[in-house]
Amino acid sequence: MKKVIKYKSELFDKEITFTVNENLNKLKGRVLAPKKLAEANKLLRKLKTPLPK
Amino acid sequence: MKYDVYGAIEITDDFNVFDFMSCGKKGVIQKRVAFTKTELENVYNLAFGDVDADGDINDYSVSDNGDRNKILATVVYIIDAYTKRYPDRWIIFRGSTIERTRLYRMAVGLHLEELSAKFEIYGYVDENVIPFGKNLKINTFLVKRKNL
Repeated sequence: MKKVIKYKSELFDKEITFTVNENLNKLKGRVLAPKKLAEANKLLRKLKTPLPK
Repeated sequence: MKYDVYGAIEITDDFNVFDFMSCGKKGVIQKRVAFTKTELENVYNLAFGDVDADGDINDYSVSDNGDRNKILATVVYIIDAYTKRYPDRWIIFRGSTIERTRLYRMAVGLHLEELSAKFEIYGYVDENVIPFGKNLKINTFLVKRKNL
């Protein structure tokens, strides 16, 4: 049986159904957008001040 | 927010990858949102785009499927759900092109009041993070759920 999570955001009227997909689970741990991640890390390394608490 | 969203989303059980189908004038296109841990503790990179044959995210593709607002609203919805699950995590994101970054800036600016009620919204400017303002030309966003 598929695991289903219903979620209703306070920002929208509509409820969304999240369904766990076993094929997607195979992607766990894999970086799906390595270039984007590298760009983010580059920016974060340069941060002069810590993120707000 | 008065936008329609895609109501059926497939996920990984760790709630880090989200897939949905864009349905429009060009047909059905698979979209993927992924949150990936960065080098900074509790900061996760948001990547979003079409799904390549190898499963990677192509964030340069232009679908032109006529459902831009519905897609953006769905991504906001996912961010909301994600930060509900992981309230201590910061999300960093930016557009893959100048035009997309401008679109994100406009979308956040247009709904700043609603979004600010729920999220801390900052921009990365000159190697610092500063609170988002409508007139700031921010290229990279950092958001976190507010502790309400």
